[in-house]
Amino acid sequence: MKKLESRHYVFLGLFVVIVAAMLINVKLDIKVSAETQKMYDYIDSLPQGSVLMVSFDHEASAVPEIKPLALTILRHAFKKGHRLIGVSLLAEGTGIGYRLMQETAREYDKVYGRDLVYLGFKPQYIAAILSMGESIPETFPEDYLGRPYTQFPLLDSVENYDDVAGVISIADGSLTTHWIEYARARYGVTVTAAVAAVMMTTYDPYIGSGQLHAMVGGLRGAAEYEKLLKIGGSGRRGMLAQTSAHVYVIIMIIIGNVIYIAERKRKSGA
Amino acid sequence: MARKIPKIVCALFGVTLFVLFFSQHPSAKSLNLAILNEYFQIIFAFTLLVGVVSFVKINLKGVERGEDRPYRIVSILGVFVVPLLALIWGIKGDSPFMWVFENIQVPMQATVFALLAFFVASASFRGFRARSVQATILLVAALIMLISRSSIGDVIADEIPQVADWVRSYPSMSARRAILIGIGLGSLTTSLRVIIGIERTWLGGDK
Repeated sequence: MKKLESRHYVFLGLFVVIVAAMLINVKLDIKVSAETQKMYDYIDSLPQGSVLMVSFDHEASAVPEIKPLALTILRHAFKKGHRLIGVSLLAEGTGIGYRLMQETAREYDKVYGRDLVYLGFKPQYIAAILSMGESIPETFPEDYLGRPYTQFPLLDSVENYDDVAGVISIADGSLTTHWIEYARARYGVTVTAAVAAVMMTTYDPYIGSGQLHAMVGGLRGAAEYEKLLKIGGSGRRGMLAQTSAHVYVIIMIIIGNVIYIAERKRKSGA
Repeated sequence: MARKIPKIVCALFGVTLFVLFFSQHPSAKSLNLAILNEYFQIIFAFTLLVGVVSFVKINLKGVERGEDRPYRIVSILGVFVVPLLALIWGIKGDSPFMWVFENIQVPMQATVFALLAFFVASASFRGFRARSVQATILLVAALIMLISRSSIGDVIADEIPQVADWVRSYPSMSARRAILIGIGLGSLTTSLRVIIGIERTWLGGDK
C-alpha cells in the first residue's frame, strides 16, 4: 500500500471539515455588503413590469456556486413583477438557464410568453451581443423551444437594447466583460452581473469606472441577497461549509509557516 | 499567391468591420447584422468541425498506441453518442441529451472544479510561505480576503471587511487596470498589424 503523505492528510482533513459543516444545521449571520445592496437596490428600484435580459454565461462546472446566485436574482426580479428575457452565450449555460427560469417562474405563478421568454443559445458571443443591439428578433428568430419570436406578447415591444431596462450577466468567467465592452459601450445598456467569487476582482475596475452598474458575487453574495429578500436558500446553507473550508485553509497556512520558521531557525542555529 | 489572397481577405474584412462598427448608416447596419448573424456563425461551424476532427484523430492514434486507452475510448464515444442523441430526440426539455448533460456532464464538471479546493488547501500548507517581505504582504492580503469572504470576518471585527474592500479597491484594482490597459493597447496594435499585413504568424510563418 502506498504510504500516505502530508498532502493526503490535508485532503482528508478538508473533506471531514466540509462534510461536518454540511451535516450541521447552523445558519450563520452575515452582514450585507455595499455591493450586494447596490445590486438589490437596482432591481428593486426598477418600475414594475420592466423588461430585464438575463444572460446565463457560465459553464456546468460552476453550477454549485452560480445556481444560488441566479435563483436569488430571478426570485427578486419576479417578486418585483419584472419581465425576463433569458439568453445564453455559452452552450453549457443554456439548459441550466432554462431550468432555473422555469423553476422560479413556477414559484411566482409567472406565465411563459407574458412574464418570461427564454431565447436560448447563440454561438459567437461578441457577434451575438452586437447583433442583439441591432435586432433581437433577427438574432433569435425563435425561442429556445423553437416557437417564433412574434408569438410572445412580452416580445411585442422588444426590438433591441433600447427596449430593455438592463442586462444581468450571470457568469463564472470573463463573458461579462464583453457585455460591458459591447452592449454597454456601444449601445448604452445598463449592465449588472452575478459572478463567481473568483471573478470579482476582475470586474472591480469596471465597477470603479461605473461601466458595470452593480455586481453580486460568490456564495457569500448569494447568502447576502437571500438575507435581503428574507428567504432561505442554498447560499446561506452553504456559507457554513465555505466558512469552515476558509478557516481550515487559514489554519493550514499558519501551520505551514510555523513549520517553515522553525526549520529555518533550526538550520541557522546548526 | 497562397499568402497574398488570405492577406487581402483579412485586410478587407478588418477594415470593413471596423467601418461598420462605427457607422450609423442603415445599409451599414444591415450589412453588419448579416455578417454577425450569418458569416460569423458559418466560420464558427467550420472551426467546430476542425476541432472535432482533430480531437477524434488524436484520440484514435492514442487508442492505437494503447495510451490511456479506456479514457480515450470514452471520449470518442462521447463525441459521437451525444450528438446522435441530440439529432434523434432533440436537445430540449426532457430529452436524453439533456439527461446526459444534467446527470453526467454537470456533476462531472462540478466534481473536477470542486477538487480545486483540495489542491488549494494542500498548496496553502506546503507552498504559501512568508519567505520574503513581498511574500508576507501577499500572505497577509490572502488571509484578510479569506476571512472577509466567510462569515467569521463580520464576527471578529468590522474592520476586516473594510480592509478587504480597501485591498480590492486600491492595490488590486490598480494592478488590474494596468493589465487591462496593457491588454487593450496590445490587442489594438496586434489587430492593426494583422490588418496591414505586418503580422503574418497567423498564416503559419513569418516569410
